[in-house]
Amino acid sequence: MAGCEMIEKTRIQTIGSSSLVRPAGKKFLCVLMLVAGFLLPLTVHEVFAASSQIYDQTQRKWVAYTPDLARQFYRRHNQTPETFRRQVVPFRTAEKPGTIIIDSVRHFLYFVLPDKQAIRYGIGVGREGFGWTGIVKVGRKQEWPRWIPPKEMIERDPKLAKYADGMPGGPENPLGARALYLFEGKRDTLYRIHGTIEPWSIGLNISSGCIRMLNDDVTDLFERVEIGAKVIVLFQGASLLKGV
Amino acid sequence: MRNMRVYVPILLAGLLTTTGSGHAADLVIGIPSWSSAKATAHVIKEVLEDKLKLDVELKEGTNEEIFAGMDDGTIDIHPEVWLPNLMALHDKYVIRRKSAIMSEKAVPGEQGLCVTRHTAEGHGIRKIEDLADPGKARKFDTDGDGRGELWVGDKDWASTRIEKIRARSYGHAQTMQLLEADETVAMAAVDAAVAVDRPIVFYCYAPHHVFSLHEIVFLEEPPHDPRDWRIIDPAEDAQWLTKSNAAVGWAISFLHVTYSSRLAESQPRAAQLLSAMKLDVDTVSSMTYAIVVEGMEPSEFARQWVATNGERVDAWLAAK
Repeated sequence: MAGCEMIEKTRIQTIGSSSLVRPAGKKFLCVLMLVAGFLLPLTVHEVFAASSQIYDQTQRKWVAYTPDLARQFYRRHNQTPETFRRQVVPFRTAEKPGTIIIDSVRHFLYFVLPDKQAIRYGIGVGREGFGWTGIVKVGRKQEWPRWIPPKEMIERDPKLAKYADGMPGGPENPLGARALYLFEGKRDTLYRIHGTIEPWSIGLNISSGCIRMLNDDVTDLFERVEIGAKVIVLFQGASLLKGV
Repeated sequence: MRNMRVYVPILLAGLLTTTGSGHAADLVIGIPSWSSAKATAHVIKEVLEDKLKLDVELKEGTNEEIFAGMDDGTIDIHPEVWLPNLMALHDKYVIRRKSAIMSEKAVPGEQGLCVTRHTAEGHGIRKIEDLADPGKARKFDTDGDGRGELWVGDKDWASTRIEKIRARSYGHAQTMQLLEADETVAMAAVDAAVAVDRPIVFYCYAPHHVFSLHEIVFLEEPPHDPRDWRIIDPAEDAQWLTKSNAAVGWAISFLHVTYSSRLAESQPRAAQLLSAMKLDVDTVSSMTYAIVVEGMEPSEFARQWVATNGERVDAWLAAK
């Protein structure tokens, strides 16, 4: 395995009592939420969790949008912010229906539909974005996939040794309800699009490189996508140069 | 673009492989991998088969392979040779070896850097010089390093090398990260940027379907001046990047049908038709859009196009 299935544990931090979310460098453009003792959704235009900032009313300044905010929001609302929820959006492309386009910068996965539309899902990606770019295909699909922690991961966390031969699929499995295995030609890239047991993490860059989706979303995508479907991973900075 | 392998959407990939059926065709059209050349190749095939009753085969290949094929007799036609991009191949096979003949008729092409209209109007990025401004370049930053990202083409394209030179000459090599990638990825990135009104800048060329798919504009820049266009070939000098300079726009490009000298002898009517064949930017653009974006099967598109452009095709056939 590529080691992309493990969600990294994050520190809990105290966030100020009132916060706005904006993409880095865009003042007040993309307001996500207002925290007034708790998180209230306001107008949502777009959210860029990895590179986003929040306005902390207590500190009266923009601070990084951290996984903690995502945790708080999810705890309050039992769902991700609206922008990361599954929705049909206008999407003009030359790619044929059934193609998947992954925008790790915006944390969106598009499933191309006919008539210049797409289903847009929120995703979580690796700490450094997706880590690579290029064109692959869906080589295999699996319901309730088995998870095998990489050797390095077991070395870091010996408690995982009991899963060295694989953790059966199920609600405790980090891969979640479904997995799409990405192939380059006939070669398994070891990258996956899979579900998650930490739905609050959608919209963040905190895994080891794979694409995480809400279990309901990955199940929806699983039903729609065909084996052999084209998957285009868009570039994000230097990751483009690494290729698949 | 076009010294080069352009990876177009996969919808074309399965449609444009060699169509040989096991018997020797009367002639073979080489197909480079960009979409407009593929569309033109299918139209030529349809015209030759329908009007001259020839058996035509399509064969994929790089520009180098197609020119070499015209030289050794295994390929007869290159549907779309871009100049000045392929000037080296032109000089070798058309001028020196005289094994290929380039039609004098041409479709004008354009290349440079493009942005979406939203980028131009919403963010005030209208000139290439804007990219050298760190504050403006930062608008294209996707990885948080403070520099913007700019797709300059596929790693195999001759134009990519020139865009690197231009980036250095204009100064945006300092403020932008220059990215090389498959064109399919780059075009999907444009789609995704448009979907969320994100600013994006990228290498572009016309005719191309992206201009029909989205509102795309070329960035303004000083007009081409050959006195300010000094491009050193890496094969000539390892210091090509630092010794080159090109802080002006590209010269207007021209797209020519090219065929083997051998064809002129073996199939003179075909050669005559190819010499008379005249397309234009709108035609090539619409052909490409129909096949790439609307997903029409190329041979079916070509059949319909020839059927609805009878007078035009007849004029090519009647030309002396």
